Amino acid sequence: MYILTNAMKNLLRNKGRNILIAAVTLVIIVSTVVTLTIGNASSKIIEDTRLRIGSKVNIDVDLAERGRLEKTGGMPEVGIDDFFSYAQSDYLSKSIFSVQLYLYSSTTFAVGDDSKGQSEWESWDGSSKSKAATIMLIGSSDPDILSDFFTGGARGIMPGGRMFGGLNECIISYDLAELNGISVGDMIVTTSIFVEPEQTFELSVVGVYSDKTEAWPGPAYEDANFFLFNRRNEVITSLETVMSRGFETDQGMEMHAEYYLKNPDNISKFEAEVRAKGLHPDYSVSINQEELDEITAPLSGMAGITSTFMFIILILGGIVLILLSFIAVRERKYEVGVLRAMGMEKAKVAAGILAEAIIISVICLFIGLGIGSAAAQPIADSILSGQVEIAAEETKAKSEDLKFLVMNGKTQFIAGLHGYTPISEIQVELDAKTIAQISMIALALAALSGVIGIAVITKYEPLKILRERN
Amino acid sequence: MKCLELADVSYRYEGSTEYVLKNISAAFDSGKVYTVVGESGAGKSTLLSLISGLDVCKEGDVYYDGKNLRELDRDDYRAKCVGVIFQGYNLLINSTAVYNITLSMNISESEIMGRRAKKEAAFALLNKVGIDRETADRKILYLSGGEQQRVGIARALSHNPDVIIADEPTGNLDAETESEVLKILTRLAHEDGKCVIIVTHSENVTAIADEIIGIHAGNLIAGEKYRENSAFHGENGHERTKTIRENEQ
Ligand SMILES: Nc1ncnc2c1ncn2[C@@H]1O[C@H](COP(=O)(O)OP(=O)(O)OP(=O)(O)O)[C@@H](O)[C@H]1O
Ligand SMILES: [Mg+2]
Repeated sequence: MYILTNAMKNLLRNKGRNILIAAVTLVIIVSTVVTLTIGNASSKIIEDTRLRIGSKVNIDVDLAERGRLEKTGGMPEVGIDDFFSYAQSDYLSKSIFSVQLYLYSSTTFAVGDDSKGQSEWESWDGSSKSKAATIMLIGSSDPDILSDFFTGGARGIMPGGRMFGGLNECIISYDLAELNGISVGDMIVTTSIFVEPEQTFELSVVGVYSDKTEAWPGPAYEDANFFLFNRRNEVITSLETVMSRGFETDQGMEMHAEYYLKNPDNISKFEAEVRAKGLHPDYSVSINQEELDEITAPLSGMAGITSTFMFIILILGGIVLILLSFIAVRERKYEVGVLRAMGMEKAKVAAGILAEAIIISVICLFIGLGIGSAAAQPIADSILSGQVEIAAEETKAKSEDLKFLVMNGKTQFIAGLHGYTPISEIQVELDAKTIAQISMIALALAALSGVIGIAVITKYEPLKILRERN
Repeated sequence: MKCLELADVSYRYEGSTEYVLKNISAAFDSGKVYTVVGESGAGKSTLLSLISGLDVCKEGDVYYDGKNLRELDRDDYRAKCVGVIFQGYNLLINSTAVYNITLSMNISESEIMGRRAKKEAAFALLNKVGIDRETADRKILYLSGGEQQRVGIARALSHNPDVIIADEPTGNLDAETESEVLKILTRLAHEDGKCVIIVTHSENVTAIADEIIGIHAGNLIAGEKYRENSAFHGENGHERTKTIRENEQ
C-alpha cells in the first residue's frame, strides 16, 4: 500500500520530469484514440458493407470466358426452376427474383410511342409483321424493390396509391399514368410478346410512382427513341403475378436472381453447390468485389492513412519515451539506492517505479480518451472528404468501361441500375473495443517506461548505486 | 549476549586485487557501545557495510544472532535488524524529514499502525534528536548538514533495530547536539540493550565507548593494542582526549 502512496508522492515531487513523460504519453494516446476510433469505425462499416453488398452473388454469363473460347451463338439457358432451386441453398440468407417481360397494349400507350400502339416488328424477310412491344413488365419478389433495389430512393409511391400486394396488382410511373389518363383503381390490359404461349395480363393499378431516375439506360437508346427501354414505361408487379401464368423456361423473358450469402466467404461453396445443381460453366458465380471496393474505397483509404499515422506515432513516441525513461532512471539511481539500503526489496522498488508509470499512463488515458474522441469526428470528416474526391476521380475514369458492360449484358444492365455511391459519411464513436485496445496501448507504454527503469536499477546493488553518487 | 560476530572476514573491492579488510574476527554484544577507529581509508566504512548487510564479505562469515548473514534475506535484515546512519546521510533529498522516517517505518513493517500514528511517532523521534515539527516538515534539500545528520540518526532508530550502526554520526554536529546524540546512543545500548557500533574520529565519541576497535590498513587491532599503538594512554577517555588535543597542538 505504501508503495502506491510513495509512487504518487514521487510523481508530485518530480513534476518537471513527469509532466514531460505525461505529455509524450498523452500525444501518443490522443493520436491512437483518434486513429483507432476512425480505423475501427471504418472497418466496421467496411465489414457491414461487405455483408450487405458483398454478400450479393452475381450469376452472369461469363463474357470474357466465352470470348476466350470463341463461343458464339445463344447463351446457355437457365431454367426457371433452376433459379428457384439455387435459392434453396443453406449458404443464403435471402434471394430476390425479378423477371422482365415485354408487353404490347392497344389501349395503354408507351411514353415516347408517337404511333400510339401501332408500332410493328417486321420479320427479317418482310413476310410478316407483328405488334411491337412497348411496355416492360417487371415482376419482383421483393416489395421493397422501388426504394432500394432499382432506384436508391429516386422512386416513390405518390399519395393516394400503395405498393402492389395481391395477385394482378401493379404500379406504374406518373408519366405513363398521365399519358394514358390512368388513375389508381383503373385496369390496364396488355399482352406479352416473345413468350410462348402469348399471355394476357389484366392488371389493376394500385399506385402511381414518381420517378427521378434516368429515363434511358444510355444516350444511344434515347437517340433511337427506343422507347421500350424508357424506364417510364416500366410496369411493376409481383413475381407471383408473372409466374402465375406458368412459364416453363426463361425464353423470351429476362429472369434475374439475386442471391445473398449469409457470409461472403462462402461464395466458392455456394458455387460448388449450384454447379452440382447443373449451372452451365459459361456462367460465372461471383460476389461483386469490384463494386464493393468502389463503395468502400474512401474508407479503406482513410483506414490506410490513419493506421500509417498511428504506426509512425507509436514508433516515434516509443523512442522518445524510452529516451526519457533512461534519463529519468539516471536521475533516480540515488533514490533507489537509498530505498534499497533501507531494506526495500527489489521487487517492491520495481513495483513502485511501475506504479508511477501506470499512474501517468492511466491519467493520460482518461484525458486522451476525452480529447481523442472529441477530435476524431472532425478529423475523420476531413480525411474522408479527401478520399471521396480521390474515389470519384477513379470512378469517373472507369465509367467508360462500365457503359460498355451496361449495354451488352442483360444482367449487368440491371446491376448497373443499382446506383450505389461510395461511402462519404462516417459516424465515428468510441466503442468498447477501441477503449480496450487503447487501454492495452496505454498499459504497454507504462510497461515500456517502467521496465526500462526496473531493468537498469535492479541490476545494481544498493551500495554500488550510493557509491556512484558519492 | 553475543549479537554480531565476524569470523575471519576478508574483503576486497570488485576489480581490485588488494584486500581492504584482512582476516578480521570480532564479536559484538548487545547492550554495549563499540567505537571503530582508524585512519582515513583504513576500511572502517567497508567493515560497516559488511555488518549492515549492504555488502557480502569475500571470505569468512558474519553472524547475526547466531545466523549466518549469507543465509538470511539481507533486505529483510537491513529493514528490520539494523539501523544504519550513513557517513553521507543517504536520505531522500526531495522528501520531507518526517517522510523519510515514516517511509522507513513502512519498509520495515513497523508495528506502529496507521499513517497518523506513524507520523506522530516520526515527529517524536525527530524531536528527540533535536528536530522540531517545522523543520521536520521541510524537504531534506532545505536542511543544514547537521540537521540532515540528525534525520539520518532518527531514521536509523525508526524501526527499533537490534543493531545500530553509525558512520561518523556526529561529524557535523555542534558540541551540544553531539552530546545529546551520544546520550541517546548510550541509552539505547545500556537501557534498551541494543548493540551500537560507531565509526568515529572524534575522541568525544570514543569516550563513551564500552569497547574500542582499531583498524589499521585492513587489520584489526584490539582495544588495548590500539591504545598502545596510537600513543593513547591513561585510564579513562577524558584523559585520552586530552592527550590527543595536546598532541595536536
Ligand atoms: N569501490 C571501491 N573500489 C575500490 N576501492 C575502494 C572502493 N571503495 C573504497 N575503496 C578503498 O577501500 C579502502 C577503505 O575504504 P573505507 O571507505 O572503508 O575507508 P574508511 O576507513 O571508511 O575511511 P574514512 O575514514 O575516510 O571514511 C580505501 O583505501 C578506499 O580507497
Ligand atoms: Mg568511511
